Amino acid sequence: MTRQTFQQACVTAIAEEMRRDRDVFVLGEDVGTFGGPLKSTNGLWEEFGGEGRVIDMPISEGTFVGAAVGAAMRGKRPVVDLMFLEFLALVTQQFGLDAGAMHYYSGGAISVPLVMRAKYGVGPFHGHAYDFHSWLQNIPGVKIVAPSNAVDAKGLMRAAIRDNNPVLFLEHMALYHAGRMEVPDDDEFVVPIGKACVPRRGSDVTIVASALMTKRSLAAAETLEAEGISAEVIDLRTIVPLDEETILESVSRTGRLVVVSEAIKTGGSHNEVVSVVAEQAFDRLRAPILRVAPPRVPVPFHRDLEKAYLPDAADIIEAVHRVTRHSIPA
Amino acid sequence: MNNATSPATTGSNQLHIELYHLMTMSRVLDRIIGEHDGHWHGLEGEEAVAAGVYHGLRADDVLAPHYRGTIIAAYAKGADLRTLLAGAMGKTTGYNMGRYRSDICGPAQYNLIGLYSGSLGPPLGYATGGALAAKLDGRDDVAVAVFGDGGSSRGDCHEAMNLASVQKLPVVFVCQNNQIAISTEKKNGVGGSVAERGRSFGMLGVEVDGNDVLAVHGAMQEAIARARAGEGPTTIEAVTYRVAGHFYSDAEDYRDPDVVDRWRERDPIRAYRSWLVKEGVLDEAGLNRMDEEARVHAQTAMDRALADPAPTAVDLAPELVFAPDTPREGERP
Ligand SMILES: Cc1ncc(C[n+]2csc(CCOP(=O)(O)OP(=O)(O)O)c2C)c(N)n1
Repeated sequence: MTRQTFQQACVTAIAEEMRRDRDVFVLGEDVGTFGGPLKSTNGLWEEFGGEGRVIDMPISEGTFVGAAVGAAMRGKRPVVDLMFLEFLALVTQQFGLDAGAMHYYSGGAISVPLVMRAKYGVGPFHGHAYDFHSWLQNIPGVKIVAPSNAVDAKGLMRAAIRDNNPVLFLEHMALYHAGRMEVPDDDEFVVPIGKACVPRRGSDVTIVASALMTKRSLAAAETLEAEGISAEVIDLRTIVPLDEETILESVSRTGRLVVVSEAIKTGGSHNEVVSVVAEQAFDRLRAPILRVAPPRVPVPFHRDLEKAYLPDAADIIEAVHRVTRHSIPA
Repeated sequence: MNNATSPATTGSNQLHIELYHLMTMSRVLDRIIGEHDGHWHGLEGEEAVAAGVYHGLRADDVLAPHYRGTIIAAYAKGADLRTLLAGAMGKTTGYNMGRYRSDICGPAQYNLIGLYSGSLGPPLGYATGGALAAKLDGRDDVAVAVFGDGGSSRGDCHEAMNLASVQKLPVVFVCQNNQIAISTEKKNGVGGSVAERGRSFGMLGVEVDGNDVLAVHGAMQEAIARARAGEGPTTIEAVTYRVAGHFYSDAEDYRDPDVVDRWRERDPIRAYRSWLVKEGVLDEAGLNRMDEEARVHAQTAMDRALADPAPTAVDLAPELVFAPDTPREGERP
């Protein structure tokens, strides 16, 4: 075990995969001597730069992501640093529509093993906060992971690099340098894509979240416990493909569901969780499902507005109160 | 300095006073804003480009400034300094009402185009569209689109140049080439010359010394005159250097401090001062007085901006996200 931040865990996983597999290489803006935006590639230049496996890119996102797709089609395993998720709009054609379709449309002749890392989220880095990952959920063939802590970041980064599909790897800026955890060193530690985890067991309500919202949901659950409400928290870890089984099993026991999202309420990926439960566990529900999510405005600038925008533990607690107060008998 | 623009030929000292004011004001703002915002992208070393490009535009001209220098661009276009600074501090009294950062998004009230989603590139298209609107309406307004050497690598840049060229639109493209993009030196990010790219798209492309405010201003005035006369777009590449960090609290461990020092010796403000004194436009005392006036003006504006109210939760106002059929009071139609 090594005590690491989320950022360090990501870099370690990439370095280990680069040692293990010569096809893995890194590209993006300022990923070389600079060490990456917010230190996202810190140290990789020193170890792999000489081999030409850490490559600085011009400010040409559409084309360098396109080039990563092209290299992946030829058997390389690129790890692209997009810098900020805000730039997803500039690369959705290449990373999403095209790369997502290639395996299927080529009759299985090719695959596109590609990881695209993107920083996002309301946090200490003021700006570039937008959580736009939900757009990609509507594009078949693309996987999306959103770890909430350093251990999962490492295990999921490894899984993402080994995966044979385009994977969007979300790096929340409020989690990035915040605190250290004991992260496994062993070679085979991998967190499988598509598996949620349950960091807190409970029996009265299921709270489903990911990334920073997991942290806030856990804080809310702590307060609720003191009030005598037992909340189960599911950390999705993977947004696509969704771990329906874990969600359905939990809601079947608790009968209540609150989903928490950093993307705005309309069209956010959390709505898929709601749909799955409405379709497959309707008869187990004892209360309406509630969503806790920001309002439909672009992420605001002033800190106080930003605070009002983003769901916090109090908003989650309020939603849980509403679903636990009004409930149909089991 | 370009002697073709000596006071004797321009016939007035007013131009020089205005250009110098913009340059010294920009330098003051770097310090005043940087002290409150570690992410402020300073202009030190590049003031000659900002002053030379942003000076003298008309109210109806569309301006997509380089993100680095948006506040001085808006100020040059007539926006109120205190309101701009309130915006940089996220106050309700700012043009963006605390909703967005005015350091990279200037006031639309003054026909400025900003980075509405933080991505470099798209504003070049919007500026080109502003020029298209002027052409459709038969007005002689121009659009000015400014971008860095880094931003010149976006497809948006090449596509805007091509579109403006084939449609003969009144756009002035200015590459504020400070030779670095975050940590990426120009030679690692930009293949060839940007002025030459302009030429290859079929427009006039010129390179100027970006540390010589009169050279920049002269090239700009010629390009604007051509655009107003319906003679189409121009690309100007102004070569300078980013003496400031990428942002105010940048550790700058990615570059050689000697290079920065060499460019500091070529400080555009100092160079212009010597020229102004030599040409007898102003003496040292007069220049110092202008520096002090700019400092007091900026500090007073900042003090007021800081005392302005901060937005509260009600200001999130999701009900205002769509434009209504008729303009709301206090909002631009
Ligand atoms: C499309 C896009 N990619 C990356 C960024 C992140 N970014 C912000 S400033 C910057 C450097 C820009 O360099 P340049 O255009 O030369 O302007 P300078 O900062 O040197 O003034 C980068 C890469 C961005 N804002 N937009």
